[in-house]
Amino acid sequence: MSTPHLLFKDIDEPGLDTLDVYVKRGGYDNLKKALTMPPEAVVEELKASGIRGRGGAGFQMGTKLSFLPKGTMDKYVVCNADESEPGTFKDRELMQKIPHLLIEGILIAGYAAQATKSFIFIRGEYDQQASILEAAVAEAKAAGYIGENILGSGHSQDMWVHRGAGAYICGEETGLLDSLEGRRGNPRLKPPFPANQGLYQGPTLINNVETLSTAPLIIGMGGAEYAKLGAENSTGTKLVSVSGNVKNPGNFEIELGMKSRDIIEGLAGGVPDGRQVKFWFPGGSSSPVLLPEDLDLTYDFDTMAKAGSMLGSGAIIVVDDSNKVVDVALKLAKFYKHESCGKCSPCREGTNWTVKMLQRIDAGVATPMDLDILASVQDQIMGNCLCVLGDAMAMPLSSMVKKFREEFEEHIELARARNPYGDEDAGQAEPPIEIAAA
Amino acid sequence: MPRPDRKTITFSIDGREVEAPEGTMLVDAAKLGDVEIPVFCYEPKLGAPVGACRMCLVEIEGIPKLQAGCATPVKDGMVVHTQTDKVRAAQNSVVEFLLVNHPLDCPVCDKGGECPLQDITFGWGRGRSRVVEPKRHFEKPLALSPLIAIDRERCILCYRCVRFSQEVSEDYQLVLQERGSESFVATFDGHPYVAPFSGNIIELCPVGALTSQPYRFRARPWDIEQSGSVCNLCPGQCNVSYTVRDDRVLRVLARDHHEVDDGWLCDRGRFAYQAMHVDERITAPMVRDGGVLREVTWERALEEAAKALGRAKGAVGAIAGGSTTNEEGFLLQRLVRETLGSPHVDSRASGALPIGLHAALSAPATQATVPDVEFAHAVLVLDTELVDDMPILDLRVRKGVRRNRVKLAVATSRPSSLDANAKAVARFAPGAGEAFVAALEAAIAGSPIGELAAAAGAEEDAVTAVADLLREAGEDVVIVWGERLTHGPRAVQAAQALLKVSSRLNPNPHPGAGLLEVPAGANARGLREVGVLPGIGPGLTEAAPGLDTPGIAAAAANGELPALYFLHTDPLRDLPDRATWQRALDRASTVIAHGAFLTEGLREFATVVFPTEAPAAKEGTLTHTDGRLQRMRQAIGHPGDSRSEWQVLAELSKRLGDDLQLFTAPMVYAQVVDSVPFYAGISLDDIGGVGVRWPAREAASAWPAGESAPVGLEAPAAAASPNGKLRVGTFRSVWAAPEVEASPALKFLAPKQRAELAPSDAARLGIGHGEHVLVGGVPAVAHLRTGTPEGTVFLEEGIEAAPAAAITDPLAEVTKA
Repeated sequence: MSTPHLLFKDIDEPGLDTLDVYVKRGGYDNLKKALTMPPEAVVEELKASGIRGRGGAGFQMGTKLSFLPKGTMDKYVVCNADESEPGTFKDRELMQKIPHLLIEGILIAGYAAQATKSFIFIRGEYDQQASILEAAVAEAKAAGYIGENILGSGHSQDMWVHRGAGAYICGEETGLLDSLEGRRGNPRLKPPFPANQGLYQGPTLINNVETLSTAPLIIGMGGAEYAKLGAENSTGTKLVSVSGNVKNPGNFEIELGMKSRDIIEGLAGGVPDGRQVKFWFPGGSSSPVLLPEDLDLTYDFDTMAKAGSMLGSGAIIVVDDSNKVVDVALKLAKFYKHESCGKCSPCREGTNWTVKMLQRIDAGVATPMDLDILASVQDQIMGNCLCVLGDAMAMPLSSMVKKFREEFEEHIELARARNPYGDEDAGQAEPPIEIAAA
Repeated sequence: MPRPDRKTITFSIDGREVEAPEGTMLVDAAKLGDVEIPVFCYEPKLGAPVGACRMCLVEIEGIPKLQAGCATPVKDGMVVHTQTDKVRAAQNSVVEFLLVNHPLDCPVCDKGGECPLQDITFGWGRGRSRVVEPKRHFEKPLALSPLIAIDRERCILCYRCVRFSQEVSEDYQLVLQERGSESFVATFDGHPYVAPFSGNIIELCPVGALTSQPYRFRARPWDIEQSGSVCNLCPGQCNVSYTVRDDRVLRVLARDHHEVDDGWLCDRGRFAYQAMHVDERITAPMVRDGGVLREVTWERALEEAAKALGRAKGAVGAIAGGSTTNEEGFLLQRLVRETLGSPHVDSRASGALPIGLHAALSAPATQATVPDVEFAHAVLVLDTELVDDMPILDLRVRKGVRRNRVKLAVATSRPSSLDANAKAVARFAPGAGEAFVAALEAAIAGSPIGELAAAAGAEEDAVTAVADLLREAGEDVVIVWGERLTHGPRAVQAAQALLKVSSRLNPNPHPGAGLLEVPAGANARGLREVGVLPGIGPGLTEAAPGLDTPGIAAAAANGELPALYFLHTDPLRDLPDRATWQRALDRASTVIAHGAFLTEGLREFATVVFPTEAPAAKEGTLTHTDGRLQRMRQAIGHPGDSRSEWQVLAELSKRLGDDLQLFTAPMVYAQVVDSVPFYAGISLDDIGGVGVRWPAREAASAWPAGESAPVGLEAPAAAASPNGKLRVGTFRSVWAAPEVEASPALKFLAPKQRAELAPSDAARLGIGHGEHVLVGGVPAVAHLRTGTPEGTVFLEEGIEAAPAAAITDPLAEVTKA
């Protein structure tokens, strides 16, 4: 299948992160076009494109936009650039190489939502990208694309780049809003949804970098035209970040509906010679794992959901047979335990308990019966949490225990054999994780 | 904002059809159908739900995922299940998760036996633990403050205490540090959590993580009894419940009353119970013998007192302090007026206003209630610092501003802790309240205010801003005014100006708006209504004119009043003009006092001292400032052969030839009701545990007509111009009270005299923060505060070692000590 380039069109053109080059190749023309349309028409165009959110939840952008109440209250557009899902690094490349596309997208979305203030919440670790964005925003401001009465259209919109302090949970939209307001980044109860009551209690549109960056392209080619790309219910192109045991890891723009095998084995070069795919995460580390036989599934939202997983942020992590499933599970659980905000009980205690159980398994002080508890704790987390962080650990872990139960049991037995006296501290694969908050 | 109108809807829960007000959260609505949904983090008093603990998950038909019952408002036709397998599994799960890190040290935990975590684990848990992993450990217990111990291992991280600190008391001290399973509650800066309302978090905590230091290990729930009463330490009159073990009060808990205290208590009300059982407390009568106070028998004390009063007859001056009950006040004025034939009784620091003004200021038609503060369009806080004068109302004002967007205006002399919440703030010179209110009135009327504002020492723009806010906010405006405004030489004019402002803002008196006084004494309103004012008898009727408090002081100092009677007040500690009082006490041949502690005036001058009953031993009624009659109920016995104070007063009348035929406290109450027409028909049973607002009853029509506001106001006196010296203002801290000094746990909060100065004045005088200074001869520590208006120095009242009442001039020189 062909891989048309929209977002990544000539992405490596030198100087594309500057306004000059961007404008020279037609940048901000789509903003100009949008500003000549009534805001409702822009919303309709985005709706017609059928584009689903590229951040992970996959909610239709146009529909989200139309949820914003009409009226003259302060409205906000917030760009979620806290790309923190393990395995995901596509927004990073977009912001670094073509920041003006994102800015243009935010302006178009802001015009459609009639919002006057916009924020880019970028994770603190993306220092270089934040600097590039700050420079680009300054350039766009100086050129009159951001500010009062943009290009004489009567629409005014301001924009700020805000650096996060390093927390996975700030990628959750309401946690992001709390953090942006200067508070501890904890998720809020929903409803109310941000579209009604978001930043500073005002209606707020929150979208991912990739989603917003696609908006100018949709305006440019027309929503209906964009909808022709991709698969049913999964229109358009998508950036996928392929990582793990592949020969050629990186970001690739694909048309949704492409065969998964073509992405992993074709674009990313497949697993190293002599290795076999053991399992793969189709949409970031929080998606339930899929097996080698699932490689022939097409890569789109619905197929992935039908297979019991999800497309998520489009981050494919490939694990080959040189890895032990328990190691992957423990690594994953430690990450989510570390990143749990602690607000709701199932996530806070569940991730913590899971790590302790996996460490016992690894240390040789567990029995196969503990696997049942491990699995049941995942079930107890799923669906009972305040936000999706708890589920983000429970879903993949649950799938691993289910699909690799025999290997888990074997691991337990081997570890027990190594540690016949049941020493709690023995045999750990690695010392306890200690990640300093960046 | 006016109170929301809620219609009733019907929903179904576990197969029962239940009616509930629309928008009620499911966990509350379920109770109406006798269904209990367990909760930990949900507490409606704390504001919007957070849905953190996940204990309240329920199944709602039509929604695939379980929903948090604490955060789901009920809708008409909703079908809810709390007993399905899915819900039960979720409840089991959450209990199990909460116990993953809980130490289960119930046998040594103070909360054991009254612990929601125990109850919910028992009721909704699986009953068996699958956790074999080590639990998290913290150093414990640590002192979160001298009053509160924190055990972080027991904490289930429900956020209640943090939300209280952040969103109710707004002291912003408590936060959660770290994240995930490593989170723990701490103060932001690591300092102890000392705040006026800190003790509430002990009661909020659903586990034994926050325990009261004074109560720790003193009793288990099966050793104790709860006994409801009303706190008489300040005009807030919060409803409390005393925890009693072996006839001793061991703890004070809030007894939720939305119309009075909203379920909170200040730390003074919560911890000062210790003063009921300290050795310093007077528990037996004393008589001065050979210059020394000695404990004597009741017979001898009563006889000495009766003889002395009999000798003085028509020349007795009596003053009742704020904590006096209606019954005691009523009997005091009967004793002095009827039995002794002396008209000199008072309960106000500065004497009575004309009857008409008292009637108008507390008229039922313009009487705002405490909840009105929460739902008004605008609230003006005038000449009072609520956190000191009536702490619990401070929380109510904050609640109104935070949750109902009430527009707040603050007009005080001293910077207020509510300034940050106010939309408009005005400052005026201490003692210039009258001029300020006159200026405000002119500003509301749209007249020029230049001269008036200058006389008040206020900025013209600030006055106009307050006036604009009040005028434009809406029809429900509540004026919360401090009694202090009507003290001083021109009290009448100040009251008239206030009435005029009130009638301008509320031309058509209606419920939800009006005046709410913050009196100087806990039962000041009750004492006025039962006739403890010179020239004003029970029921606000005319009585023979007599001397007021300053008059009594002056007359006694001149030797014209040989006998003085103080009920729950020490004039040297509580009243202004200390020098005159010292002379008065010195000249009077008889000084009878009821007191709990031998404070200076009693220690040095009293000839007969009767013990004041501990609040928990007292039976009687109080009248809240919004007109609510409340009952103090006896929770503990009197020590030894101690008597009730009403008995002492009745016995003195009897010995002086007036047998009042009183044998029980309710009989005294019956006499009060007979003499106060607007209390007519209110029985003690009617008052019960929640009280009765008499202004809301028919008998309120017996309230005398108020004086209508005069057409023109006299030009108010200008505030003294600083002229090198500084204006002296005073305030009374919530902690300046004998019971605070006497309570071991609270002692550390007892204030020392400090002089609050503007940094610019301090710089001019060469005084640095923390240096010792003399303010008009009174020693104090300089306290530089940026908000203090230039040209003014503030001293604390009620400090025995360095009494601010020694200064009588409006201006004083501040020098380095």
